[in-house]
Amino acid sequence: MGTRVLAAELDKLRTLPVIGFTMVGTVLTGVVIAAALAASAAAQGTPSTVVELVLAAVPFVQVGIILLGVLPAGHEYDGRQIATTLVAVPDRARALAGKTMATVAVVGAGAALSIGAAHASAAIAAGVTEVTLTADRAPWRLAGAIAYLAVIGLLAHAVAVAVRHLVPALVAMLGLMVIISPVAAGLTEHARWLPDRAASQLYADTDALLTGASGALVAVAWLAAIGTLAAFRFIRLDP
Amino acid sequence: MRVAGPLVAELRKTLTLPAAWAGIAVVVLGSIAITVLNAVTTRSAIDAGTPERVANTSAFEAAFAAMPLGTVGAVVLGVVMISSEYAANSTDAGGGRQITATLTAMPRRVSLLAAKATVLVVLVIAVAAITLPITAGIATAVIGGAGTETVTPAQALMRGLGGALYWTLTGLIATAVTLLTRSGLIAPIVLIANSSVVSVSLLLTNLTPLAHWLPDLAGRRLFTGVDTVDGGLAAGPGALVMAGWTVLLLAVAAVVFRRRDA
Repeated sequence: MGTRVLAAELDKLRTLPVIGFTMVGTVLTGVVIAAALAASAAAQGTPSTVVELVLAAVPFVQVGIILLGVLPAGHEYDGRQIATTLVAVPDRARALAGKTMATVAVVGAGAALSIGAAHASAAIAAGVTEVTLTADRAPWRLAGAIAYLAVIGLLAHAVAVAVRHLVPALVAMLGLMVIISPVAAGLTEHARWLPDRAASQLYADTDALLTGASGALVAVAWLAAIGTLAAFRFIRLDP
Repeated sequence: MRVAGPLVAELRKTLTLPAAWAGIAVVVLGSIAITVLNAVTTRSAIDAGTPERVANTSAFEAAFAAMPLGTVGAVVLGVVMISSEYAANSTDAGGGRQITATLTAMPRRVSLLAAKATVLVVLVIAVAAITLPITAGIATAVIGGAGTETVTPAQALMRGLGGALYWTLTGLIATAVTLLTRSGLIAPIVLIANSSVVSVSLLLTNLTPLAHWLPDLAGRRLFTGVDTVDGGLAAGPGALVMAGWTVLLLAVAAVVFRRRDA
């Protein structure tokens, strides 16, 4: 039964054209931005590494991942598909679990594909444009970047379930990730506790206090808090 | 009546959208929150005798740091004003779209778009007129005479007006893009992400100087002081270029809107 719910949710996502467009758009963003970063490093003569170029593209890729995370839950409320969904799967916890697993699959695939494509693109562009390469940073950071993007995508999913609207959820996530977080980081060191700042320690060791593991824990705590709120609203309140 | 009727109708439709109020709240409350945080940090740095810990101790700069949030609010207003017209109703209620009712009431499509654009301009300027004095007042109250004000009142006024102009033009671009795509997804992604540090336009300037002519970068000197990047257009010509983009996009949207099926 559980697998059928998951299969149904994946089927819904497969037949939603905007998911395909977003997936392609996210991967292309990674490819183009990584190449552009390599070209700009070459133009300015800044020595860099392939892994570093890919990691610098992560903030751009995350915009696509946020949309991927918001869509599975958000589109149900864009119209009244949610009513049909709950008629088909009246057990709300199970419906939410299925949807969350489908979102994990889509977001994970999007993150892995875009980081992989960005890596290929950065390697090719660095070779073509003759960027001065220094000793490469640990490749495990790429896995960290994929994990970071997955966390951000799941957070977007939780926000979409909690907010129950597509565009407000998207705007809230984008505003938090690309406006509030950088502005707050410029103002106070306590911005390190924001979910994206904390999770970014998975691929960047820029923080004096949080490490990859503790940063991930902070991000998971955020995810649990918002996810619990969202799950409560989904399971206990009228859709 | 001919002009006032559509304006009042559009204003009323916009102000009864919860999302529009969410956008306004983000600007007003978000800016106040950031200003308080910034001003308190600055004040404590001054009191501790380490003013070099913050970039500067000007009360106006502390308030002005919240300006990027206004862009988000303007984009939200510009988007929901159009996307709410195209959102399909519940199938239990017939699954209709508000745009059909709107066009029945106001068949002149270009006038309708003009009314919507006017309402957006009025709303964004009203939000700016509320937000900027409040945040500047809070920052002045918290920092007081302890800091060194580096911005003269005349400069502060010019930068406030410039920032409000940037918000307005970005909101109008959001309206045009949403009308062209009939979807509320593209405009927020492109405009919000691009107005932040995650800016594709900014990255493009490393590759070609032509990128300085893109609307968001052309207008960024209107903020003078916030994320200044070398090169590019000065405030005056930049504002003209950004306004040119806005007019162009609105004109394209108007032609498309007039010619296609709703």
